[in-house]
Amino acid sequence: MSEIVKEIYDSVVDGQSAVVQQKVTEALKAGENPAVILNDGMIAAMAEVGQRFEAGDFFVPEMLIAARAMKSGMALLKPHLALADVKSAGKVVIGTVKGDLHDIGKNLVAMMLEGAGFEIKDLGTDVTPEKFVSEAQTSGAQIVAMSALLTTTMPNMKTTVEALKAAGIRDTVKVMIGGAPVTDAYAQQIGADGYAADASRAVAVAKLLAA
Amino acid sequence: MVIENFRKPLRLLCIGCEVLARPVYLCAAQSPHIIDVELVKRGLHDQPADLRSLLQNKIDNAQSPAYDAVLLAYGLCGQATAGLIAGKLPVVIPRAHDCITLFLGSRQRYQGQFENKPGTYWYAQDYIQRDDGSGSALSMGSGTDTDLQAVYDEYVEKYGKDNADYLMEVMGAWQSHYQRAVYIDMGIGDGAAVEARAQAEATRRGWVFERMAGDMVLIRRLISGDWLTGPGDDFLVLQPGQQVVMTYDENVIGCIPPAI
Repeated sequence: MSEIVKEIYDSVVDGQSAVVQQKVTEALKAGENPAVILNDGMIAAMAEVGQRFEAGDFFVPEMLIAARAMKSGMALLKPHLALADVKSAGKVVIGTVKGDLHDIGKNLVAMMLEGAGFEIKDLGTDVTPEKFVSEAQTSGAQIVAMSALLTTTMPNMKTTVEALKAAGIRDTVKVMIGGAPVTDAYAQQIGADGYAADASRAVAVAKLLAA
Repeated sequence: MVIENFRKPLRLLCIGCEVLARPVYLCAAQSPHIIDVELVKRGLHDQPADLRSLLQNKIDNAQSPAYDAVLLAYGLCGQATAGLIAGKLPVVIPRAHDCITLFLGSRQRYQGQFENKPGTYWYAQDYIQRDDGSGSALSMGSGTDTDLQAVYDEYVEKYGKDNADYLMEVMGAWQSHYQRAVYIDMGIGDGAAVEARAQAEATRRGWVFERMAGDMVLIRRLISGDWLTGPGDDFLVLQPGQQVVMTYDENVIGCIPPAI
């Protein structure tokens, strides 16, 4: 890894947004391959952030600022990535289910997935089953990801899975779910394809589902 | 029969969240049975696993002949009560997602409110008075400004001002999704000062403030032993060895193994 890509990597892990932007600009100017900056500098750094989170060394704030740093670098990198023909890891439609307005977890998952090379269509909060269905249809996403913080709103995950079925697209998309009260058993019960306990594990699950 | 060797009055242990303190004490005072009340800190809501093991301990410690049954003045509460096992005595628990159902008197009423206005922040007298800063109901922000300032200062020191500003914005974003604050008036004692505090907070956060009459009926029925003639739709009665499970439907909770 070149010195500047290593610096980008370290700054993403440290959540130093301004430094990441500066280093990405420098790297591009110096003719560094955008795909290398993306893969070795940012995606690899976010993978380390995820590992540190799972190990209990990082908490939500560290993840949030790292993801923010990654995103700020990504914004600069994006125009160059199209030229370099970098392949997306997959397309994900994501949102909190109907009635649920709590989106810290969902945002974190979206950022971690983006950091892992996924294209994200973020539908925000309080997303109706119909909205999930229509966005899944029009975007051509491989994955529909749903989050719920409340046990009150969890049943809307099931309703959404049923809506995907009714629309005849259940077989064309994978469904993954998460959120504080959600469990693997619940995912199986409602016929979702995957469950992740946190944003880092969500990346592994999404990769498996998109493969 | 819900309880073997029926004696009257029954001796019941009510373990409840402190946010329900006044309604629980009032209903305990008026119950035909002999009620001991043990209140548990509200802040534990944020650590469901800790709350569960604390409740399980209390359930396990309650034994005959001191008590005939254990009452839980709790809802599912972020799944804190899912997994609880009745020890030597029957355990009775209302079918409710959380305390708001217990304040409003029925899960149908709460469901109606929730569907109508999901972005509602709920306040009640004991909930506000017993805020010790150690826990919040849903997210950061239900503490006081002093807490937020302390969190912010810690972020600045750890991550720098730019990141601290970002974190406060992101972690406080839920406030902007809420439109309404409701103070549930249980009609016990003088709640004027607490209501004023709730109203001031709502105004500061840009939420519409509403006052709603609470209904103690569920807590009253729990504590007066209404379930003795059969659990009905509103209560789950666990026999020794049975365990609470979440049902993911309008019943909210059920038990395994199922009742015969």
